[in-house]
Amino acid sequence: MDVFEAPVIAIVEDDEAMREALSDLLQVIDLPCHTFDRAETFLAALAPGTFDCLITDVRLPGISGLELLQRLKGMGSTMPVIVVTSHSDPNTRSLAIAIGAHAFLTKPVATEILLQHLKSAVRHDVSPGGGDGGNTDD
Amino acid sequence: MFRLVAGMEETLMTEMAWRRGAVENIDIFANAEADTELADLASDSVIVFDLTGNIRYWNPASERLYGWPAIGAIGRNLSDMSSNPAFQIAQWQSLRQEGRWEGPVERRTLWGGRITASVRQTVRCNADGEPRDIVEYGRGATKGSHLSSAPNADVHRFAAASWALDISRVRPLLDRMGDLINEGAAAELAQQPDWMDELLEGTRIVNVNERAAHLVGGHVGRSRMIGQPVGAFWPRVGRGVLAELIAAVAMDHSPGVITRMRKLASDGVLRDPVITAWGSEEDGRPDIVFVAVNGATDDDRSFWYLRASEERYRKLIHHLPVALLQVDASRMAPVFEELRDNGVNDLNAYLDEHPELVDFMKKVVRVTEVNQRAVALFNGTVPADFIGSVGFLYEVSPETPRRIMLARFEGRRNYTEIMKVRTFDGRLIDVRLSVTFPAPSERLDVTLLSLENITERLRTERQLHQFETEFTHAARISMLGEFATSIAHEVNQPLSAIVTNGETSLRWLSRDNPNIAKVEQLTARIVSSARHASEIVQRIRGMAAKHEPARIALDLNQVIEEALLFVRHDIDAKSIHLSARLACDLPIVLADRVQLQQVIVNLLVNSIQAIAQESRSVRQIDLATYEDGEGAVTFSIHDSGPGIPVCNLDSIFDSFFTTKETGMGIGLAICQSIILAHGGSICASNHPDGGAQFRFSLPVLPKPN
Repeated sequence: MDVFEAPVIAIVEDDEAMREALSDLLQVIDLPCHTFDRAETFLAALAPGTFDCLITDVRLPGISGLELLQRLKGMGSTMPVIVVTSHSDPNTRSLAIAIGAHAFLTKPVATEILLQHLKSAVRHDVSPGGGDGGNTDD
Repeated sequence: MFRLVAGMEETLMTEMAWRRGAVENIDIFANAEADTELADLASDSVIVFDLTGNIRYWNPASERLYGWPAIGAIGRNLSDMSSNPAFQIAQWQSLRQEGRWEGPVERRTLWGGRITASVRQTVRCNADGEPRDIVEYGRGATKGSHLSSAPNADVHRFAAASWALDISRVRPLLDRMGDLINEGAAAELAQQPDWMDELLEGTRIVNVNERAAHLVGGHVGRSRMIGQPVGAFWPRVGRGVLAELIAAVAMDHSPGVITRMRKLASDGVLRDPVITAWGSEEDGRPDIVFVAVNGATDDDRSFWYLRASEERYRKLIHHLPVALLQVDASRMAPVFEELRDNGVNDLNAYLDEHPELVDFMKKVVRVTEVNQRAVALFNGTVPADFIGSVGFLYEVSPETPRRIMLARFEGRRNYTEIMKVRTFDGRLIDVRLSVTFPAPSERLDVTLLSLENITERLRTERQLHQFETEFTHAARISMLGEFATSIAHEVNQPLSAIVTNGETSLRWLSRDNPNIAKVEQLTARIVSSARHASEIVQRIRGMAAKHEPARIALDLNQVIEEALLFVRHDIDAKSIHLSARLACDLPIVLADRVQLQQVIVNLLVNSIQAIAQESRSVRQIDLATYEDGEGAVTFSIHDSGPGIPVCNLDSIFDSFFTTKETGMGIGLAICQSIILAHGGSICASNHPDGGAQFRFSLPVLPKPN
């Protein structure tokens, strides 16, 4: 991984508002990202080295977030997966961790915590308000 | 010229002689009722008068022969009836000398004509041999009669129903009427038919003969008619004629007996009845008016048959457990006829311009009879409380008379509606009014109103409705409790987006060079998500709120989408695959949104629980909507659960029927009651491919045009 190149994050989230919110959050800290509304489309776009981290919802139409995580592990992927969900029940959490989730976060996600986990996942400086030349959009 | 009395009279005389022997010294006609009764049955005239000619007894055959009823004849002098006083004096002398006389006599009849009768008169003596009275047998002279009777006398061959009436109580009324007539305001009287009732109610019966009692006394009997108002007995037909005749006789103060005759419409008992009225000739009885009604009956059998059938009818009416009012609407018939003649076809429009016609109707249509149940319904005391204008019925339902008039004008045979009436003690009650109009061919114009008290029923219905609403609501609340997790998830989703977008905005703003455009965009998204969250909360609140069911035009598909809000989380959590084949352009249904959601959620929960019961690999719920082409839209839900045991199929919608360990078994019962209340139907079955299938159909809202 090139330390001078920003890591690319994938987001799988069926709720459009949440998907866009996460995408915008990553944009403000200058992390490029790709969004998917379901696991199947993400899997289709997946190629070795495409993404450096995956943020996924648990409840998804079709393949669920945990199933996706399981498949990735099954494929031998080492890509860190952060699970973000409204399911706060402990069973889902322990199952996710057992399968190998990098982190299990409950919505609404505190941005600071998400960024800490992202940072630890991709070992990239994603400190708040990082950088001056951030006005990349529009 | 004189014929011997026929066999029957011979027998009669023998009988009378025998009786006289048995009851020596007793005035048979004054005291021995049995003998009077025999003479009553004689087909020839039997008259008894004293030595001065005062009539003491006058049998029914005499009534038939001369027209004068016994009531009007007894107490009068026989010479009053003679049309040839000179002849009578000669005959009288002969009688006193010889003790008997027979020959023709000419007498005045009630109807103003003269009749020749062949009579045989015999003087009776008391025990001391002193002349006591005279008995006369007579019959109408036939062959060789040189004196004609009244031209239509044969109409009166049958005895009259006769009445003696006392008008002293209505003198004040008659005086007022007299004043009106003198002022030339007689037309006003015609517009106020109340005077007729007042007159007939105030005029008391002094005496009636048996025939009158038979004809109109009903089950009351002759003796109990005496002292009563004539209005209580006089048939409805001809009340007006009687009132007018009484008024005419009472207001006429010219000397001598003036008889007034009027023809009456046939009343079903008497054919071509003629009513005759005259004042009393006796001094000191100016308030007595005699009335006789003559008319032929077809035969005794039909007469009695008719009486009996009428009696049965009367009893039936009086004992029917339905409040009945008989009204006389005959005065409206000419009004309607005139309107039609004047080209009025749309009475509704006409009444818009002439609302006074409705008031007129309320005044001139009159209640003539009511039964016991009606008296009880209004908490009245006697049927007489009701006799009068029908207006009181519509006091609190002022639009009703108009609708009745429209129905009548359109020639309908009956009309019914639910209305309110005020009882005599001031209570408001709900009644179903049913009006039965007479057929055009019926000239009697008897309109029957029946009133069924439905106050209790409506109250019970309202209570049931209230219970149902509350029960349905309670079930919804309990259902919402079960979906707390699901609901939390639904609300959490937009809230999460808001939190993230808010924090992102802060980051943009805290930059050295804040990106205002980006913040604006994010703020717009925050607003949108907040709205979304608010909508969800609103929907949940709608489910939780207690509200009166309100039918609005709904798209069933949209209601399904809304219902899924509550169970989507549950479906996902249980890894159930949901497919929905919802038909496009589904016709609109008229329904209560929340109740319909409740039904759909209930059915979904049912399916989810059925699937969760066992661990099959196929976990599927198929929803579908379609138009069935018969004016209904159908919702169907099919699950991959174990299906419904056949023995439970019939009872699955019963309250408290459940196969689950938890739950009260009210879900499906409520679904059914909601769908039925919407005029739809619901059914359960097992799908050929396995699993249970529930379907409900709702009637489509008819499109305008």
